[in-house]
Amino acid sequence: RQRQMCIRDRFSTMSSNEDFVPYSKRAEWADVKPRPQDDGPNPVCAIAYTSEFKEAHDYFRAILHSDERSLRALELTAHVLDLSPANYTAWHFRRLCLENLKSDLREELKFSEELAKDHPKNYQIWYHRRYLIQKLEDPTGELDFIKEILDEDSKNYHAWSHRQWLILTYRLWDKELEYVEKLMKEDWRNNSAWNQRYFVIAHVTKLDIETRKKEIEFAKSWIRKSPNNESPWNYIRGMVKGYCYSDFPEIKEFCLEGKEKWPSCSHALSILVSVYEEEGTLKEAITCCDTLAQKLDESHKKYWLWKKE
Amino acid sequence: MDQTEIATKKHIDFFKRSLNILPGHYASQDPNRLTLAYFGLSGLDLLGALDQIDKNNFIQWVYSHQILPDKDNPERFIENCGFRGSSFFGRKYNPSEIPENAHAYDQSHIAMTYVALAMLLILGDDLSRIDKKSILNGLKHLQQEDGSFSTVAKSGETDMRSVYCACAISYMLNDWSSIDTDKLYRFILASQSYDGGLAQAPAQESHGGSTYCAVASLYLMGRLNDFPEKDALIKWCVFRQAGRGFCGRVNKDEDTCYGFWVGASLKLLGVYQLIDFKNFQAFVLDCESASGGFSKTADCYPDVLHTYFSLCGLSFGEVYNNLQEIHCGLGITLRAAKRLQ
Repeated sequence: RQRQMCIRDRFSTMSSNEDFVPYSKRAEWADVKPRPQDDGPNPVCAIAYTSEFKEAHDYFRAILHSDERSLRALELTAHVLDLSPANYTAWHFRRLCLENLKSDLREELKFSEELAKDHPKNYQIWYHRRYLIQKLEDPTGELDFIKEILDEDSKNYHAWSHRQWLILTYRLWDKELEYVEKLMKEDWRNNSAWNQRYFVIAHVTKLDIETRKKEIEFAKSWIRKSPNNESPWNYIRGMVKGYCYSDFPEIKEFCLEGKEKWPSCSHALSILVSVYEEEGTLKEAITCCDTLAQKLDESHKKYWLWKKE
Repeated sequence: MDQTEIATKKHIDFFKRSLNILPGHYASQDPNRLTLAYFGLSGLDLLGALDQIDKNNFIQWVYSHQILPDKDNPERFIENCGFRGSSFFGRKYNPSEIPENAHAYDQSHIAMTYVALAMLLILGDDLSRIDKKSILNGLKHLQQEDGSFSTVAKSGETDMRSVYCACAISYMLNDWSSIDTDKLYRFILASQSYDGGLAQAPAQESHGGSTYCAVASLYLMGRLNDFPEKDALIKWCVFRQAGRGFCGRVNKDEDTCYGFWVGASLKLLGVYQLIDFKNFQAFVLDCESASGGFSKTADCYPDVLHTYFSLCGLSFGEVYNNLQEIHCGLGITLRAAKRLQ
């Protein structure tokens, strides 16, 4: 915590810091002429910038135009990015400064960590981390960092997509299934975890019929805990894709049981519709559609009636 | 309350305020200002209120965001051509009237190019100041090996959002020669999840936003009917309405904006009638603010994005006689889209 705060102080020069001195009053910036923004006579969506925002950007514009990739420029981009983390040009320029200064990219990862925690849904920060890891050619610690973000929000789309890229690029498949299963135990409705499971299984195995059968059993075990959870039912469909329901007679069996055991569960019947459709026993399929439309899945009534047709 | 009329005045005022001056806390959205303008403008068009703004000034302001090709060497930094999101780079205000020298750090963003063109169409501009050649050349530099597109040259993330922007730009400029549509099509196919929905990229989780981007891209390319797993896609979309409103992902919460992302996908697939509009409508109206605007859920404050998409979502039911019809592929009214003909 203390170390993190030191890094923050070093890179950040926000006015919330009591020692903050405007750039215009700093001797080391005296040679730079701030460059104002020109929005024209009648701007649309004008923003009432704070004086801090305006000043930081006036100096940022100046160094962009002079292409100054110095240490003070690097520090200025930290300030701009703190105020405006979606500024893709500030990120781009920062990377150029880092390259020019041959900066320690591990330190930079720490810097972006702070920003990532404050803005976990910002695209540019994740892209920046990807760039750093690629430059370092070393993913050490990144899985743990992503885990921290997922601890806050187990469905953060950016975190999951970054995680997939990391695992694919550096072949970090080893412990991922274990991690996914841990998340599932915490929340078996977490569809991101189910998707990640599919991602791992599809890469680590050939999705041969034996694997698919095992995965279907896995999904069934979670359905028994919570039959109305859509995720494992979709997963079963996913396992059948490319094959036939007739290759997995246990599915039909399971759904027929489910129909009786969980009378208010629409998912079992929904799969049966597909099973009967494949079998060609359309009368059964139609009966299921009717039951779904009239009773079990009234919120999707129109869909089931259409499917019936 | 009359069920066939939406309370237009307060929403018009909401949009007009959002196009005027935004408070300081919007500063973090500064790089994306052009998209905020798009929500407000297209929203006003949806409500039939374009006459309430200064269209000519708006056109000039949009054009001032175009990154023109270098006046001496048009190949120089060509990958930057397109539109910028705001004026933060620090050029002198220039509504695309005065030739300029390009700069390495004056970068366009593909989403800004899309919304700029959309806004010019809405405003009735003839696109005569659009440098079509350099925009399309810029687009070429954004396509990746796997068919997807990045947002900013040499510096942006790649995903389905940019794929959509590339298609919409090509469609609006009526020129597909800058993009490899086959590669793009294969990227979309590869991004369909095992559950039928479409993700931001292959293997990722199916999501309402990326589903719209993919479906609309296929539609604009004229390849929606080629898409092999349409049934699974339709089912996924219909089942995003799990209660009243639409959700963005399996087992996630309702949010008014998915009334557009998922709703428009269903419209394009020709099956919007399969959802329960009355329930959806009730959800959206619960998110309507007394002082104008709509929020993502009933317990949040309204914002322009959710206001715009809520109204779009409501327009799909074709029950409101004071809402315009939306061109689901382009994200502008049919009336604005007609100018392309």
